Amino acid sequence: MLVEFLLLFSVYFIARAHNPEAFLIGPGRLATVAGTGITLLLLTSGCCLVKAVAAIRTDASGKAFAWILGGIVLGCGYPITKFFEIRWNIAHGIDGETGIFYSVYYYLTLNHLVHVSWGLMGLMWVAARTGLGSYSSTDYRGLEAAAVYWHTTDVLWLVIFSFFYVLR
Amino acid sequence: MMGHTEKIWLSLLGFTLAGAWLAESGQAGWPLTLAVVFLICVKATLVIDHYMEMRFANTWIRAVLFGFVGMVALLVIVSHGWSELIRKLTTLG
Repeated sequence: MLVEFLLLFSVYFIARAHNPEAFLIGPGRLATVAGTGITLLLLTSGCCLVKAVAAIRTDASGKAFAWILGGIVLGCGYPITKFFEIRWNIAHGIDGETGIFYSVYYYLTLNHLVHVSWGLMGLMWVAARTGLGSYSSTDYRGLEAAAVYWHTTDVLWLVIFSFFYVLR
Repeated sequence: MMGHTEKIWLSLLGFTLAGAWLAESGQAGWPLTLAVVFLICVKATLVIDHYMEMRFANTWIRAVLFGFVGMVALLVIVSHGWSELIRKLTTLG
């Protein structure tokens, strides 16, 4: 996933180098509150997953299940926020053909959304397994792997947020 | 009493709000670029070391993750200060 996104990020850097004006003006038209909201949701969801892994290490599978569920609910806030952000964008005349900055913005953020959707499905799977008592303090690799994937989407979003909402 | 995870989470929220403030300030130039690089590095370090627990993991796995963050940080700096170089390297003909 990191190599894939490093390649995707190269699109951003090349487009930015060739179109400095578009990348200087572009972020000002996006809704910072949406990008910030997504970041806060992902980081808080990630925190729930840290708690879930800590809980399963003490064989508290009920607690772990509740934390995973919390992580999923907060994680679902991402696609919902994205939906309203895109609606807001379109209402303000920003779509994929508005300019190179917005083409790259849609390209990278929607790619990230796809990875987050896979992550959410993974979390639903480990939530079901945790609920069924499949994990214990001696075997929780599945839950840990899903949590690490989820945190990786966090790291990628931190970079994407900086690229499109903050950097000029 | 606030635990270690909660402190890391609150720090991440704080750094995110600082980023949002920078975004709304509408600044551009080296100070903003360096501030963004700082925020990316600090937030990514907190997530990698404390959420992903990479500080206890194999050194090579940790190095790959920090290599990725370092590469992104370097590219942000190069794309701001030496965009001409990127243009030259990526222009056909």
